[in-house]
Amino acid sequence: MESNNGGGCPQGKKKDDEDSLQGKFDHGNFHYEHAVGELLSSNLQEDRNRMMRDVHENPQLRRSMECHYEHQDRILPEGAVTANTDNEALRKLFKITIPYGIKYEKTWLINSIQSYCSVPFTPINLRYVRNQVEFFVQDASTASTLEDINYKIYDEENQKISILVEPSTETHSVQTNLKPEQMEVLMLTMNKRYDVSQKALDLQSLSFDRDLVGHETDMILDERKCMTAALQIIEKNFSELLSLNLCNNKLYQLDGLSDIIGKVPKVKILNLSANELRTAWELEKVKELDLEELWLEGNPLCRTFPSHAAYVRAIRNCFPKLLRLDGKELPPIAIDMEVPEIIKPCKESYKGSETLKSLILQFLLRYYVIYDSGDRRGLFGAYHEKACFSLTIPFNCGDPFLWEYFKYSRNMKKLKDPYLRRQLLKHTKHDIVNSLSVLPRTQHDFSSCVVDLCFQTEMMLCFSVSGVFKELEGKSPGIVRAFTRIFILASVSSSSICIVNDKLIVRNASPKETQSAFSTPLPSCFSSSVPTLSQEKMEMVKAFSTQSGMNLEWSQKCLEDNEWNYATAAQIFTMLQRQGRIPEEAFKQIP
Amino acid sequence: MRKFRRDWSQEDYERRQGRSDYRHEEPQTSYSYRGGHRREEVVTPPLDQSASGSSMATSVDFKTYVDQACRAAEEFVNIYYETMDKRRRALTRLYLDKATLIWNGNVVTGLDSLSNFFEMLPSSEFQVNMLDCQPVHEQATQSQTTVLVVTSGTVKFDGNKQHFFNQNFLLTAHSTPTSTVWKIASDCFRFQDWASC
Repeated sequence: MESNNGGGCPQGKKKDDEDSLQGKFDHGNFHYEHAVGELLSSNLQEDRNRMMRDVHENPQLRRSMECHYEHQDRILPEGAVTANTDNEALRKLFKITIPYGIKYEKTWLINSIQSYCSVPFTPINLRYVRNQVEFFVQDASTASTLEDINYKIYDEENQKISILVEPSTETHSVQTNLKPEQMEVLMLTMNKRYDVSQKALDLQSLSFDRDLVGHETDMILDERKCMTAALQIIEKNFSELLSLNLCNNKLYQLDGLSDIIGKVPKVKILNLSANELRTAWELEKVKELDLEELWLEGNPLCRTFPSHAAYVRAIRNCFPKLLRLDGKELPPIAIDMEVPEIIKPCKESYKGSETLKSLILQFLLRYYVIYDSGDRRGLFGAYHEKACFSLTIPFNCGDPFLWEYFKYSRNMKKLKDPYLRRQLLKHTKHDIVNSLSVLPRTQHDFSSCVVDLCFQTEMMLCFSVSGVFKELEGKSPGIVRAFTRIFILASVSSSSICIVNDKLIVRNASPKETQSAFSTPLPSCFSSSVPTLSQEKMEMVKAFSTQSGMNLEWSQKCLEDNEWNYATAAQIFTMLQRQGRIPEEAFKQIP
Repeated sequence: MRKFRRDWSQEDYERRQGRSDYRHEEPQTSYSYRGGHRREEVVTPPLDQSASGSSMATSVDFKTYVDQACRAAEEFVNIYYETMDKRRRALTRLYLDKATLIWNGNVVTGLDSLSNFFEMLPSSEFQVNMLDCQPVHEQATQSQTTVLVVTSGTVKFDGNKQHFFNQNFLLTAHSTPTSTVWKIASDCFRFQDWASC
């Protein structure tokens, strides 16, 4: 998109871009204004926004609109486009983009970057575009210093933060200040609106203030420079500010307001009612404020929630210490906790029968014992003649790359060719077992596994298993991967089941997952109690104990957990012993 | 890609020649064969019924099943996530009456419970990065045509941080003479980092 900017761009091409943008975004979609801003200068963008909304209300605007329409098709605004050109500096700018920057607290992010950057810098026009943070810096040396920091900063989840630097072809003017006369007028106006006893500043409907209109000053708070100016005045003159009223200022976004946290952090009451905020994401930009009272009614975002309760919960999530919302006292948090807004994730999902649960666990243990054994041909008998299998790795799977799985990965979002789509779906049990045999040798961690039983009938069982495994060979041996596997089992006869569908997803494990992998000494299957036994079972326990070297108690537990299937119990025991996960006490003979 | 060339038959080669057409063949949110269907329904052209029930399932039939499964899956995923994000109240129309949802381990069964659940869930913004599907073998389904659809990507619920998620669906086909309507029989959703929530 950026490459379309710059002088000399033919009119026709630009129109095409605008048309295609029109097509892509719904009317009323919040992002339209910012996307258009990518093509136009930020000044022109703000003016265009204003045009779209206020033309009929403000006679001054009609004047400037005529002026703008003349220049509409020019990318570079020449001198006389806006009335406030005197302070503008035409400088070369660099745009810094931080993908997924919206995840981070703004001050933490900027401070982190600053700490790595040898040159002090001021981010200009910091804004959020979708989930990215974008800002500008003014000189090349700062930009290149920032570029060197790319991938150097780690966040709390140990992910590297990428910092992308590009020369901004928006060689537009960046006006960060109002003229001194304008500031003077603004300051006087704001003084009049300040209530010293309450430490409250009322900037409601500021653009219609008589004093400002009279002085031909366009105080549109939605514009970056105006909000910045207002905040500067607040910081200087009203540093103890507790309450700020921004009602009815046609605010579409709060990017400019996000600076408030550094300037007057004590603000406790904020009124944003009757504006044009469309998503609750906007509030994230000011969530570092410790608000006690907030007004939001009359914003489009209020209508986006399925219920009033959901709206309240979402706002409280952003501002946990909030006491009053839209004029109403909020009940203490404790009551709300009974109805959590997102149901807490839990491990166990089948409240169904224990038999089913143990059937699935049995199946998984038997399957993975062979899968991890080094020779997967033993799985031949587990599959139906015409079973299906496919494997996928995530598109951006990060470091280290999943080389060994890449060429088999079937992702229909990226792969459109029907022939290849069919090729990558393995069809008969021969093909499947061959494909599985080619994948690297693994060691699965059962204690990490969680099973979700998705669907069951008399004929079939569908469930998914998620967990981690260690890769024992390949380019990065010892690396821990995370997987999700969906099995569909069908009953072939009254006593046997086989796999008809098998879907495997492999990704890199997160640092937390890697850390906790293989850390639990024993899987949960070794935790049942000890009832009395029949003669036959006693014999089995003794034999098992002799063969394994474990004492009777542990041998019994092992057999019980495997439904008294000696062979299975033996396999499990062997596997766990190889992994070194059976504690010494299992082998201690009771005197 | 080159690796497969020597396995091509003449038929495959000819199809490959026209390959560029396929790249742009996104399944349309098919208004052409909708008739009276509303947009919250996943509709595909009628199934090829001639081969069903035959125990001599040849590879040609399998190809048809795979293609059909792919088409249903793609259309379904487009409609499902758009409805989830933008028309949440209409989402339950995509589920069978007795469908089950397992959401991060919590079980929700039946349309009423599903309605309540989706009502309570904050508004969402889904981004699907991965999609795969498989036709489910009739041994398991006893002639009820079923497709396994698997997706993953990111989701942001209002007021919560962004999560990676994995989701899988079982879709079953309900045929009329003019079209096939697909509905969700089971839906299983989990955050990838559910354990640290």
